Amino acid sequence: MDRSRTTLIFAWMLLAPALLYVLVIVAWPLVETVRLSFTDASLKKVTDYVGWRNYTKIYNATFFEVIVRTFTWTFFSVLLKMIIGTCGAVLLNAAVPGRHLFRILTMPPWIVPMAIGIFMWGWMYNGQFGMISGLLQRFGLVDGPVAFLAYGNTAYWATIFTDVWIGVPMVTIYFLAAIQSIPKDLYEAAWTDGASRWMRFRRITLPLMAPAIITMSMLSLIATFNSFDIIWILTRGGPSGETTTMIIDTYQTAIGSKKYGEGAARAVVICIFLSLFCLAYFRVTRRLAAADNA
Amino acid sequence: MTTLIRKGLIGMALVCTTALPAMAKDISWIYCGDKIDPVHEKAIQEWDAKNPDNKVVVEVVGWEQCQDKATTLAAAGSPAGIAYVGSRTLKEFAQNDMIVPVPMTDAEKASYYPGIVNTVTSGGTQWGVPIAFSTKALYWNKDLFKQAGLDPEKPPTTWAEEIEDAKIIKEKTGIPGYGLPAKTFDNTMHQFLHWVYTNNGEVIDADGNIKLDSPQVLAALKAYKDITPYSEEGPTAYEQNEVRAIFLDGKVAMIQGSVGAAFKLKDTKINWGVSDLPLGPDAKGKGTLLITDSLAVFKGSGVEDKAVEFAKYITSAPVQEAYEGGGAAGLTPLRPSPAVDKMVADAPYWKPFIDGIASGGPEPLFTDYKGFQNVMIEMVQSVVTGKAEPDAALKKAAAALEEYK
Repeated sequence: MDRSRTTLIFAWMLLAPALLYVLVIVAWPLVETVRLSFTDASLKKVTDYVGWRNYTKIYNATFFEVIVRTFTWTFFSVLLKMIIGTCGAVLLNAAVPGRHLFRILTMPPWIVPMAIGIFMWGWMYNGQFGMISGLLQRFGLVDGPVAFLAYGNTAYWATIFTDVWIGVPMVTIYFLAAIQSIPKDLYEAAWTDGASRWMRFRRITLPLMAPAIITMSMLSLIATFNSFDIIWILTRGGPSGETTTMIIDTYQTAIGSKKYGEGAARAVVICIFLSLFCLAYFRVTRRLAAADNA
Repeated sequence: MTTLIRKGLIGMALVCTTALPAMAKDISWIYCGDKIDPVHEKAIQEWDAKNPDNKVVVEVVGWEQCQDKATTLAAAGSPAGIAYVGSRTLKEFAQNDMIVPVPMTDAEKASYYPGIVNTVTSGGTQWGVPIAFSTKALYWNKDLFKQAGLDPEKPPTTWAEEIEDAKIIKEKTGIPGYGLPAKTFDNTMHQFLHWVYTNNGEVIDADGNIKLDSPQVLAALKAYKDITPYSEEGPTAYEQNEVRAIFLDGKVAMIQGSVGAAFKLKDTKINWGVSDLPLGPDAKGKGTLLITDSLAVFKGSGVEDKAVEFAKYITSAPVQEAYEGGGAAGLTPLRPSPAVDKMVADAPYWKPFIDGIASGGPEPLFTDYKGFQNVMIEMVQSVVTGKAEPDAALKKAAAALEEYK
């Protein structure tokens, strides 16, 4: 056996555990989901292949509505997280007394178990006993109780807001790290040249934070697109399906109605979208790395 | 040589001691709730003592995941022996060959209140043993009635009176007259079915024909539309227990509730009453939805016969009566008995919960009950939120139900 062949075998042996892990944890379930999506799998014991039937069945106006809603929900949630996260990071970076305390205070939404945080918001949105409705009434802003989860519009924004509340700490801390890596002498030079605070933020902070913002936006996009717990606990996709996103729709079909084949077809559509996001993420990070090297 | 023989004997003894328990087959029970009821715990101990080869192993699963867990285990080919399930799932399980029939003798059938056996019967066969039962009645807040100038001792007996009382209370006191649950939750459908059954309506007939699009159900949906303005703000945000919490807080004048509410009301200062559910214009008598949970015996566990025997034992009259425990659990008794008669005599608030049974209707059995439930919830919500008119919502729902029957 020549040396190069031995090296190759050794390399494959080193790769084997990781490959096995990917095959068992990622590839096999994925392939199985795709296979399932071409069957009429349900509670019945015999499963038949049905070709594209599951896909043609979901090809309807309601599903398109769900897709559009998923994209808008994700867009607003990610956008708000990025804006609030950026502002938070800038504020936490400011040289004010007690800033370490403020940094700690941003963490609770991240530290509190997600389900507990969501239930807490569920109560706050409650029209009869909820704090938000109570405060609005006390300040005379509304006449009576406001049940935020009762109407499509308010429930939609309530779920987005809860997602933002949970997601902002991570974004803020990530952005704070990015800001802290910006050389101080750039700010000092700009200050010496008479650049205003806003100018320094716009010309130094934002451009140098851009890679972090892009990376975090992409990662957040992927996580938010698949966000299940928040909507399920708060509204279960209601009222009248107005907070139903693709992941909720898939769960209701596959687990609720036990239509595993049809649910798998919906999951495959999600998978395609997420693959596109991942592809975009890899392209962007590659470009950023190339720009860094240049 | 002696050592060899000794080692051999020890080895055989070890093999035998490990093999023997393997020959015994436990009955696994997926039990919904937070903990095992003490009555069941005691009964299981007695069963285990008499059936050492078929002991019962309980797995407690929260209500939210309980049904899905039992179903997923069965679908994956490793079913539980028995599981606590909503009786509405039995038809779906039976049609997919997941459960075994649990036939009842005529004497067993006769021991239950009328209508109970129908909740577990599909195609003339019983597919589960009822273990929990719920009926509803109308609770009203006498103080709010008085405050609105209504007779506090006269609850509404018809839908028209109910809507009128709710309107007066809302207008005179500013407090919602009726607690309407319409959240994306199973009891939104259940509550609506109480209205259907108090107007002689039905969803599906014995031959499997969808009967939803009828004047009786349309009247129920119209009544929902009419009472919505006098209900709590945003009914689609509240499910039954949340509406009950509002009633217990004195912030709504009337609700439909189970007997469990009466036990909670005892701890409040609310001056309350409970009465039969008000009737619709086509009612032929009292009515309520008969909701039961059952023990389903899953196929393929290897202990089906013993599981059936256990299911019947754990729901036998003495155990069941102790489990229902005078009503603290919020369960309506499954069987008439002198103990129930005494309970009603001692605490008259029990009467409407028992009286409605005879003319109550079972939860409709569908091959895809979740699909059915979603259609019903969507129909109710679209009317309550004003997105659809009752007749259009009803027609749409009736057509959609064809897929799930």
